Amino acid sequence: MKTGSKAKERRQNFLIDIILMTVCVLLLLPLVMLVANGFKTPQEILVWPPTLVPNDPTMENFYRVFSETPLFKWIFNSLSFALLSMVAIVITSTLAGYVIAKFQFWTINVIFILFLATAIIPFEVYMIPLYFQVKALGALNSICGLLIGYLVMSFGIFLIRQNVIASVPDELLEAARIDGAGEFWIFWHIVVPLLKGPIAALSVLAFFQAWTTFAWPIIVLTRKTAFTIEVGLANFQSAYTIDLALLSAASAAVMVPSVLVFVLLRRSFVEGIAASGMKE
Amino acid sequence: MSEVEIKALNKSFGTTEILHDVSFRIPDGAFVALVGPSGCGKSTILRLLAGLEEISSGELLIDGRIINDIEAKNRDIAMVFQNYALYPHMTVAQNMGFSLRLMKKPRAEINEAVKNVAEILGIGDLLDRLPKQLSGGQRQRVAMGRAIVRQPKVFLFDEPLSNLDAKLRVQMRSELKALHQRLKTTTIYVTHDQIEAMTMADIVIVMRDGQIEQIGQPLELYDSPKNKFVAGFIGSPAMNFFAVSTEADSPVFTFADGQKKALPKFKRLDGEFVLGIRPEHFELAKPGKGLEVEIDTVEQTGSETLLQGWLGKQAVVAVFHDRFLAKTGQSYCLGVAESDLHLFDPKSGASINH
Repeated sequence: MKTGSKAKERRQNFLIDIILMTVCVLLLLPLVMLVANGFKTPQEILVWPPTLVPNDPTMENFYRVFSETPLFKWIFNSLSFALLSMVAIVITSTLAGYVIAKFQFWTINVIFILFLATAIIPFEVYMIPLYFQVKALGALNSICGLLIGYLVMSFGIFLIRQNVIASVPDELLEAARIDGAGEFWIFWHIVVPLLKGPIAALSVLAFFQAWTTFAWPIIVLTRKTAFTIEVGLANFQSAYTIDLALLSAASAAVMVPSVLVFVLLRRSFVEGIAASGMKE
Repeated sequence: MSEVEIKALNKSFGTTEILHDVSFRIPDGAFVALVGPSGCGKSTILRLLAGLEEISSGELLIDGRIINDIEAKNRDIAMVFQNYALYPHMTVAQNMGFSLRLMKKPRAEINEAVKNVAEILGIGDLLDRLPKQLSGGQRQRVAMGRAIVRQPKVFLFDEPLSNLDAKLRVQMRSELKALHQRLKTTTIYVTHDQIEAMTMADIVIVMRDGQIEQIGQPLELYDSPKNKFVAGFIGSPAMNFFAVSTEADSPVFTFADGQKKALPKFKRLDGEFVLGIRPEHFELAKPGKGLEVEIDTVEQTGSETLLQGWLGKQAVVAVFHDRFLAKTGQSYCLGVAESDLHLFDPKSGASINH
C-alpha cells in the first residue's frame, strides 16, 4: 500500500516536472533565439523555418554594434540612472516609511494617504508637465533630469511602513531612547538593520523599475550619447526599416549585465516580487 | 543611588485621565513595588519617570532635581521591559554594552563592564549569542544585564517576570531581590502580581484607577489595609467580605443569612458594614462559637487545605495549614480571632478598624 502510494507520488512529480520543463523551454526560447540571431547573417535571420543554431556564426553584428553605436555609454547611463534611483528610493522610502509607521500624528496620516493616492495616477498623466519642468530646469539629456521622476516610490514607502509596523516593536525604540540614543542613531543602528530584508527587496524593485523604464527616458533624452539602453535599442528601428541582426546583437549584449545582477540578487528579487505581488 | 519623588502628578490622554494627583517619595536605595489591577496607571508612572511620555502636570524629581523637561536619554534611568526589548540583530554582549557604546566609553572598558555583569547574572558563556538563540529566562537576564551595566541612578522594571513560567518566576524573584541587596540601586518595580510585590519590595504602593490607595511595607498592607480594595487585593486567596448589620451598644452583628455573632470590639458601632476575614484566619470552632459554613469543595494541596463553601448566599473561602479532611455537603463551624477581623464602611470602603 505504502510503496504503491509512493510510486503514484513519483509519477505525479514526474508529470509536474514535464509540465514545468515545457513552460520553462517556452519562456526561454525567445531569449535563446535572440542570442542566436545576434550571431546570424542578415539573410539567415529571415530564413523559414528559423534556425536555433546559426549555420554560419559571425561576430560581424557585434563589431558593428559596438563600433556604430555608443553601447557602452548607454549601459553606463542606464546603470548610473538605475543605481542612483535605487539609492534615492531606498533612502526616501525607509525614512518616510519609518516616520509614518512610528510617529503618529493625524497630519502624517494625511500625508501618507496622499503618497498612496499618487500610486493610482498613471505616470503618463503627469509625464508631459514634468517634462516641461525638467526642460525649464535645463536638465534635459542628463541623469539629473531622468532622476526627477524616480526619486520616490509610493509603493516603497508603503512596503517599509508595513514592515516597520510588523517587525520593529515600540519597546525597542523606547529602550534605545532610555539607553541614551538619539533619533537618527536609532534609525540607523536599530531600524535599518531590522529592515534588511525589505530594503534588499525594495532595492531590486527600484533598480529594475529604473533599468526597464522607457517612456520617461525617451522624452527626456534626445542626444544619442545621453540615451539609456532601452532608448538606444528602440533607436535601431525607425519608421521604415528595422535592422534585426544589429538589434539582436545589441539586445544580447545588453542582457549580460541584467542576467549578472539577477544571478547575484536572485533571493532579494524573489522576495521583492513576493512582497509586492507584482511583476513588471 | 538616588531618591525619587513624585509630586501631584497628573496624566491625561485626551480627555481620559490616567493618573490623578499621585504623590510619593522613594528613599535612596529602596525597592518599591507599584501594584494594582491592569489599567490602574502603574506602568504609566514608569513611562513618565523614564521620559517616554510627557506629564500633564506635577513634578518628577530625582535627588531633588526636577526632571520634567529632561529628555529620556539624559535622565540616567535604566528600564527593563516586559518583553525584554533586546535588539534582535545584536549579540548579548552588544546588547549589554549598547548604552556604554553610546556614552563613547573605550572598547576595553565596555568589554570589562559587560563581562563583570554577565558573570554576576550567570550568562558569561552566552555573550556571543543572538537573542533568538536564548531561552526566556536567559533573555530576561540579558535585559537586566543591559540595565545594570550602566550603573544608573534608578532601575525601572515593567512587569519583567510576567512572560516566564511559574517556576522560573519564583527563581528570578529571589535572584532579583538578591541583586538589589547587592547593588542597592533605587528600584521601582511594576507588577500586577501582589505576591511579587509582597515578597520583593521594601515598600508597596497599591494603585487603582490612577490613584494611590495605600503606601506601606508589605506586612503593614496585609495587617492593616486602609480600605476594602487594598484588603481584597493583597493576600491570596483574597479576603472574604460579608455584609453585616448591628445596632448601637449591642455587640451582636447579624449576617445576611440571619446568623448572629457577638463582636465586643465593635460594640459602639451602629448600621450596615462590610466584615472582612482572610481565608487563612479561619479556624475550626465548637458549634455556636463561630459561623456555620456549608462546604462545597475541598482542595488538598498536601501542605494546606482549601475549603470553598457558602454562608447563606455568600461564597466563603477558607485555608487551613494543617490537613483537614472535611466532607463536602457538610456544615462546619468556622471561628476567627477578633483581632483578625476587618470592618469597612460599605459606601466609601474605608477601614474602621483602627
